[in-house]
Parts: sequence; C-alpha cells; structure tokens
Amino acid sequence: MKMKDIATFVDKHCQADDYTLYIVKSENLYTRFAQNAITQHIDGENLQLSLNVAYDNKTGSAAVNQIDENSLKKMIDTAQNIARLNKPDPEFVPSEKAHKLRELEEPSKATTELKLEHIVDGIEKCIKNARNKQAKLAGISHRRIKATYLTTKNGFEGYDEQAYFSHSMTMKKGGIETKIARSLCDYDIFSMDDLITQLNGQFDSLQEPHKLEPTRLPVIIRPQALLSVLKYLVWTFQRREADEGANAFSDQIGKRFFGENFSMRSLTTDPLLYAPRFHNDGIPTQNIDWIDHGVIKNMQTDRIYAKQQGIEPRSIYNLSIDGGNVSEQEMMRKVERGLIINSFWYIRPIDMKAGEWTGLTRDGVLYFEDGKVKQAVYNFRWNEVLHDLTRRILAVGKQEQIEYDAKVPTLLCDDFNLVDVTTF
Amino acid sequence: MKYLDLAMQEAHNLGADYADIRIQKTQSEVIFLRNLSLKKTSLHELYGYGIRVFKNGAWGFAHSNVFTEDAVITTTRRAYIIAEQSQRLKHDNGLKLAYERGYIDSYRTPHCIDPFTVPLDEKVEMMMEVNKTLLSYDQIKQAMFILECTKDEKLFASTLGSRLDICTIYIEPMFRATAITPEESQSRSFREGGRACGWEYIRSMNLQEKAEKVAEEAIMKVKAASLGAEERRTVILDPIHLGLTMHESVGHPTELDRVLGWEADFAGISFATPEKLGNFRYGSEIVNFLADNTLEGGLATAGYDDDGVPSQKWYIIKAGILNEYGTTRATAPFVGQDMSRGCNRATYYFDFPINRIPNLYLQPGKEELSPNDLIADCKDAVYIEGQGSFSIDQHRVNFQFGGDMFWEIKNGKKIRPLKKILYKSNNPEFWNSVDAICDSRFFKTFGVTNCGKGQPGQRGRMTHGASMARFRDLRIGGSQ
Repeated sequence: MKMKDIATFVDKHCQADDYTLYIVKSENLYTRFAQNAITQHIDGENLQLSLNVAYDNKTGSAAVNQIDENSLKKMIDTAQNIARLNKPDPEFVPSEKAHKLRELEEPSKATTELKLEHIVDGIEKCIKNARNKQAKLAGISHRRIKATYLTTKNGFEGYDEQAYFSHSMTMKKGGIETKIARSLCDYDIFSMDDLITQLNGQFDSLQEPHKLEPTRLPVIIRPQALLSVLKYLVWTFQRREADEGANAFSDQIGKRFFGENFSMRSLTTDPLLYAPRFHNDGIPTQNIDWIDHGVIKNMQTDRIYAKQQGIEPRSIYNLSIDGGNVSEQEMMRKVERGLIINSFWYIRPIDMKAGEWTGLTRDGVLYFEDGKVKQAVYNFRWNEVLHDLTRRILAVGKQEQIEYDAKVPTLLCDDFNLVDVTTF
Repeated sequence: MKYLDLAMQEAHNLGADYADIRIQKTQSEVIFLRNLSLKKTSLHELYGYGIRVFKNGAWGFAHSNVFTEDAVITTTRRAYIIAEQSQRLKHDNGLKLAYERGYIDSYRTPHCIDPFTVPLDEKVEMMMEVNKTLLSYDQIKQAMFILECTKDEKLFASTLGSRLDICTIYIEPMFRATAITPEESQSRSFREGGRACGWEYIRSMNLQEKAEKVAEEAIMKVKAASLGAEERRTVILDPIHLGLTMHESVGHPTELDRVLGWEADFAGISFATPEKLGNFRYGSEIVNFLADNTLEGGLATAGYDDDGVPSQKWYIIKAGILNEYGTTRATAPFVGQDMSRGCNRATYYFDFPINRIPNLYLQPGKEELSPNDLIADCKDAVYIEGQGSFSIDQHRVNFQFGGDMFWEIKNGKKIRPLKKILYKSNNPEFWNSVDAICDSRFFKTFGVTNCGKGQPGQRGRMTHGASMARFRDLRIGGSQ
C-alpha cells in the first residue's frame, strides 16, 4: 500500500474529531567495521506509521509498522480508544491546516543508487590506509534513503524525501587515537580520499601525548568538536523553558546574550544543507535566525506554546553557524599558547539554569605555543557555561560542512575551563 | 511458526555455517504528563524479524516487516549475500563462535497483572494525582511524569536446533518536580528505573508519599548552598546513585566487545584489558560485582540472550579483582573462553545483537551495617542520593558525577542540604576507596532502560543494584 493509499484508508475509517497521520519509510544500509574487519552488516527497510487523534480535547496516539488493513484498523482503533478514555488536555491544539510548501527536491541519485559493494570498496580503502600505518581502524558507513508523509484532518498534506551517506572512522595505534566523520546528501561530492587525507593529517600530528596540568587556556575548537557541543545547546534552546525560568535563557530574547562573533541560523536556501519541507507537526520550514551576532532572535517553540503566547512555532531543523576567514595558523598566532581540540565527548548538563555543561576532549589534543604546535597532550575534562564561552570567541574560521544538515566553523575561544586531566 | 523453519531451511540450503531468526514484536505504552497536560498517550508497536547468517567467519544481517514466505526467503538470501560481502574484510581467518547447543524452551517475566490490561484511566489518574501533589507546593512550577510499559515477544530459532519463545515485560515510572525562584531553578526526581514485573509493582508503591518528599526536597535544594572548591572528602552514595556509577565504570568497561576495540569509533574502548584478568585490583577487598541474568525483576533476565545462550550468574569482580567479562558467542573465543556468558542482545527486530552489560550488582556487605550506622561513622562527608550529571571518558577510566540530592554530614549527622555538587574520580581509585557497604537488608535495584550503545544506536536494558556504600577521600566540591 502506498503512502497516499494509507492516508485515504485512515481518512475513511478514522472517526475522531481530529487526526494527524505521520508515515516514515526508510532504507538503511549499515556497514560497521573495527580492528580492520567488518563486524556488523545490516540491510533492511523500516516503516513507521503514527496516528494522533483527538475527540474534542482528549487525545490518543498509536503507531505500527505494518500496512495491511487489519494493522491499520488496529492503529486507528487503538488511538481512538485511548483518546475516548483519556483525560482532557487543557493545552490541546488542533492539527495543522494546509500550507504551501517549497518544491520537493529529489535526493541525489548517486546516493540512492549507491551499492553495497561500493560501500565495502570505500571501507577497504580506509582499512588499507590504516594497515599502511600499522594502525587499527573502526567505524561505520551508512546510506539512508527516507520518505516522509504527513497529513491532517484539517487539510495539511506534505511529502518529503531525503538521502544521505555518512562515514565515520577512528584510527588507533598505541596511545594515538583520532577520528573523522562526515555526512553529505550527495554521494557525488563525498570524497573518501579527502577524508583519509584529513584523518592521516590528524593521526600524524599526534605523537605519544604528554601530560599538561588543567587550567584555563585559549582553545581552537575544530568544527567536529564545535558541532557536538552545539547539538546540546540546541536541545536546551527552548522558549517555554526560558519563559518559565527553568533554563539559562530566561528573559533574554532580543538581548545580546551570546558573544558578538556568534550567529546561529537554520537555512532552507543553502543548496548543500538539507532542510526538510516541513516539521513533523506540519509547520513549513523557512530561514530562521536564532542568534544574530550574539542577540537571541528566536527560540524553539512548539505549536502549543506558540498558540498560548500568540507567536510563531519554530524548530531548529538544520544548523548553520556563521563562518569567518581566520586560518588555524593565524589563530595560533593570536594567543601566546593554547590547545587544538579535534572532538568533544560525553557532554552532559551540570546545571540547566546556569547553562553549565561538562565533557571531555577526544580524538587528539595538540598544545601550541608561539604560533606553533609543540606536542600532543592528554585529554581533559572541561566544565563550561556554553553561552559565556561564545562571549570569549577571539576568531572565527571558514565554515565547513560536517554533516548533511550542519555547517560550522573553527573557533578560537579564550579561557576554556579545563578542570581535570585524564590518564591518557 | 512456519517462518522460523523456512528461514533456517533456506539458510541451510545456502550453505550458512550458522544462522538464526528472531521474530520480535515490541509494544510500548508511553504516557507523558507535563503539569496537568497530557502531552503523549501512545501505544507503539514494532513487529518484524531479523535474520543473521554466519559464513566463513563473517556475519550478514537483514530484516523485514513483511510476513510472507517469499519475504522470509528473500531476507534470508539478502543476509547471506551481505555475509559474503563481509568476508572481504574479516578478522584474520574470520570470527569463531563459542560452542553452544540448541534449546527448546520458553520464558515469561513473572507477573500477576499484565500492565497492558490495566485501564488507561487508572494510569492517568495516578499520574494526575502525583502531579497535582507536586504542583500544590507554591515553589514547584513544573511537574513531569513519564510512565512507560513495554512488552517484548520473541520467537527465536537457530540452525543449532533452538526454538525459544520469550516474553518479557517491564514498567518504568519516573516523575520530577522543578522548584523555580527568580534567580534559581532546581529539580528533584523519583527515579528508581525500570523493573521486569507486572502492574502489581506500581500498586504496591505509595507514589503520593514519594511525591511529597520529592517536592519538599526540590524546594530545599533550590534554597540550598553549594560547596566551595574541590577537596578530598568522604562520600556516601545511595543505591540508585551507585546504579549509574557501576553502569558506567564497571558495566561498560567489562563488555568484551569494547575490550576488543569493536566500539572504538563511538562508545569507546576499555582500560580493563585481558592481561588484567585475575590480577588487576579494580576495587577494595569488599568489592564484589556479580553478573546475574537470572535476577528476579532484572531487565536483562529473559531466559536466553539473542545468541540463544541461557542466562547465567558469574563474578565480574571478585574480592576486588577483575575476574571475568560479559561475553557473546562471537567475543568469548578472543579471551579463550569455550562458551559465552550470554550477553548478546538487540533492542528491536531490526537491530543486530551486540555485547551488552548483564544485570550487574555490587554485593551487599557481609557484616551487619545500616545506613544510619554508616553515616554515624563519618566526621565530615557528603551524602549523595539519586542520579544527576554524569560523564566518563571513552576508555572508561576518568569520570565526573553529580547527583539528584546532596547532604552535608558533620560528626555523624546530616546537617544541611546542598546543591550543584560534583565529584571526580577514576578507575581504579574509585572502587578501591570503598571502605564500607551496608548489608543486604538495604539492597535496592535500579533498572536501566536507556543504555545507549552501538552504531546504529540501540537502547539496551539491564538492572543494577547495591546497598549504600562509603568512599573515602574522593575529590568533591561545588560546580562553577
């Protein structure tokens, strides 16, 4: 049964006052490797149908992954029964109405037609490179093709397609361990050779590391590291939590709360950056400035809270951090000494109200002095107030695409709060 | 079911060295109440099968949600083709699987009341009453309650002749109160994790009483002071907190796949390498960690793992010494073990089983010792309840933990609540600093239902347990 047929069936059989039907179909091919060998190899198609219904303001949801008529009827009955028996929701908002959506962009054929054998060829090339360096390689290649369909009782109908290829690999030899990861929508512009070159560059720069005592130091945060920390910032960048006084952004909309050199946006107009046509609640995507030169312009707001406050609902659907033109070499010359950080790891909140987070460095840390890299050093634990860190940005590098939906630059930040050094 | 035999016959015809099929239906009911607004009341079902084929020392895995003879045969063939591609890049001469035999058996989580038969009304009413209690306190501005009930039904068959019929159930209630003042926001939670049981477990709890305590302590916490700079002090940890520390610093480092480097690209590796088996002092002499996949109420208690290996009980750490790992049929031979300890588990039908932490607990102290006795014996200490911030490096050595509630202990007494407390330690310092563990009367479990691991990521579950324990001379202080 096709997505449209499923929607017709649901519309015919659903008796609730309101409904939203969400269908996601994806094909995933995962090839995982470690110790220079394939350890896990998965192929299959995934399907998910979710139905949210409402009788007046009483709601219920059900989800299945089968599309025979009995399963669809079961999904409808389950959702309806839950709603009928449920308590009223004082914050209920009806489903979304029809919207004009951007034109559908077809996914890259190079990605959708990528064959298993070619993926294994790419991994073989990476493993050969690792063997040449007497190192061990671990990682994963993933090709995903996804189709999304959303329809509501109130007239919204949207269809979207997406495909991407991602590759991640960690090369390890003794105490040297470093990683590189990329994902792109178009396999035609994905270069395994470039990735290997970058991995080798990182690997070769990391001789046996030395121990350096933790202190506040300037740090060059490379894009891969920056993106990992920004994902957590995005998670907490919620308007309702801010208005209720539960996070660090209370009463800060319209104010310069972040550093002047920090701007964060979601873009539908960057051809290399994947942007869905709509969110899974039926809100069309559009260009949004979240933070413009340090000033909070918008925060994530769900449909319910948006209605209560009379504002537009907003969600972060991709991430573009404004870049600059300062090279890593120039950054090293801007401060007396500091660290270059490839990746962060195990980032967790310490205090949501303060906006304080903790984490570790990973995949290699380099110490530089007088504009030159001196040596690799042990990893560090850091505890930082992230919005405050952006106020300490000294320089911004060129924007790089790290993931199919994220472009970020390298940043030079002052006084990064390193609180502990690890044993390796 | 006919599809089990069909898949195994097809794998045999193709020439597989080993194959198995797992037909799995997972049902999850999730109810999410924010203040008095029901944000989600859903029943989610995932139904399909995954087929593993092992050929010439390499794996292939394919899955499908289509239940027809053609689809089962096509999926088996696809798994075989993938195994052939895997053979292009394999470990030396390929993986070896530890010995196992076939079993014909069934397992059901013991329970009186199936949570899926309990009327929605009862569940929502109970949650509403809790949130109303939390919000009845002026300074509590946010109340949140999540209830999850999950049922996993599996049919497993392998070319070893196994035919297993397994049904597990678990329930996890969790609620949180957030106290907010103009300057500050602090939360306190009721969170004892998931438990493999029936609804009778929920009916036996006095959640209203727990809600009052949670609200009162959230308010205490928002007004509390923190500590100054980090210094070395005695730290007392409650069983729920210990559930998280042992998960991160003992459970993960002793998963053999991590030890072997199979998780190096994401979850990380382990410092607890094979040459340390039998001689590495992981903890003090009173530290004994028992792996027990037969534990009543345990989330990893399922009769058999997804290799078709029966549940077992063994020491991971014995008298403080690293004793053994958690293993699978594919990992056990790497450390010379003839048989697997049965730790291979997948989350959903479309997931490839991976080496998972078993149910794992710190054995209670042998001497009679109550929490009051333990606190009374401290001049200057911090007592931590529940779970908060947690972060550990990718070798599972260096870590930093917070908590959910903190108390300052002076001269054997709890003198004041604290907030924003963090301690730092590492392996083996942490478990070697244990000098007292309360006895078995005070043993409590914590069921982890969201253990993230693997690429693609999977959500694993297992149960930990402990009695309150005391750690000497840890680095502890206030956050920034």
